[in-house]
Amino acid sequence: MKVEELAVAVIEACEAEGVEHMLTGAFATSAYGIPRSTKDVDVVLNVEGKDSVVAVSRRLEPLVTFDPQVQFDTLTWGKRLVGVAKEPPPLKVELFELFDDAFVRVQFERRRRMVSSQLNRTTWLPTPEDVIVQKLRWGRVKDLEDARDVLAVQGPESLDMDYIERWCETHGTGQRLREALAGIPPLD
Amino acid sequence: MANPHDDPAALKALQDDIYRERVLRARGLTVEQRLADAFEITNFVFEHMLEGAMWQRGITDRAEGWREVRRRLDRLDRVHDSGRFTLTKESADES
Repeated sequence: MKVEELAVAVIEACEAEGVEHMLTGAFATSAYGIPRSTKDVDVVLNVEGKDSVVAVSRRLEPLVTFDPQVQFDTLTWGKRLVGVAKEPPPLKVELFELFDDAFVRVQFERRRRMVSSQLNRTTWLPTPEDVIVQKLRWGRVKDLEDARDVLAVQGPESLDMDYIERWCETHGTGQRLREALAGIPPLD
Repeated sequence: MANPHDDPAALKALQDDIYRERVLRARGLTVEQRLADAFEITNFVFEHMLEGAMWQRGITDRAEGWREVRRRLDRLDRVHDSGRFTLTKESADES
């Protein structure tokens, strides 16, 4: 199974359950930065009903084996459900519940509609500004590289830097932002 | 030809050149094209991981090769996600 086929299956499962979604992770980073490989399909779900994530995972059962236990991230306490594709390659699916975090809510509200001919679907992506803020907030090595790449490819002059700086100040990640900007060599 | 690894300034200039080229190439693509590239790179990388695992293990069975790739990815996840995820909020509060 190709990664785009798995992504389509996840989007279709969301649509079938009437769950709003947003692609995140490497797909969002690649859309605005330097395309890179990934080992998972990460999707944020706007959970209206309590069992929406479970319902989406059940829709995917023919293709994906999900861990029955929900996990919490230790940064924001968001929930995620993780599964692995039954057919090779062993791609993972990570379903993140939209939850009551100010930035996460705003990021989802600002998401952009995208018509992808590759996916043959309409899907949703966060804005580049929100990808940068999120990546700086998570702060792992790859996250910081992703943030720098989006800043470099989009260019600070075309981004809403005031918005990015405000959230970085809220999250205490202003230094990470300055380091990411300083890590971009002159491009001329 | 001088080896840039012997000269930190030359090495940094080389790294910057490579990065600049990658950024400028990405700037020349649309959002959709960059996303399509990510799909293509991902599928390509998985095939190479499989080939590498099979070669290293000396096996010809692709199913066994994929199991080895899965094992390696699980190990990587444990490294990358160490301390980032927990099964209960309580268990993290106690740690």
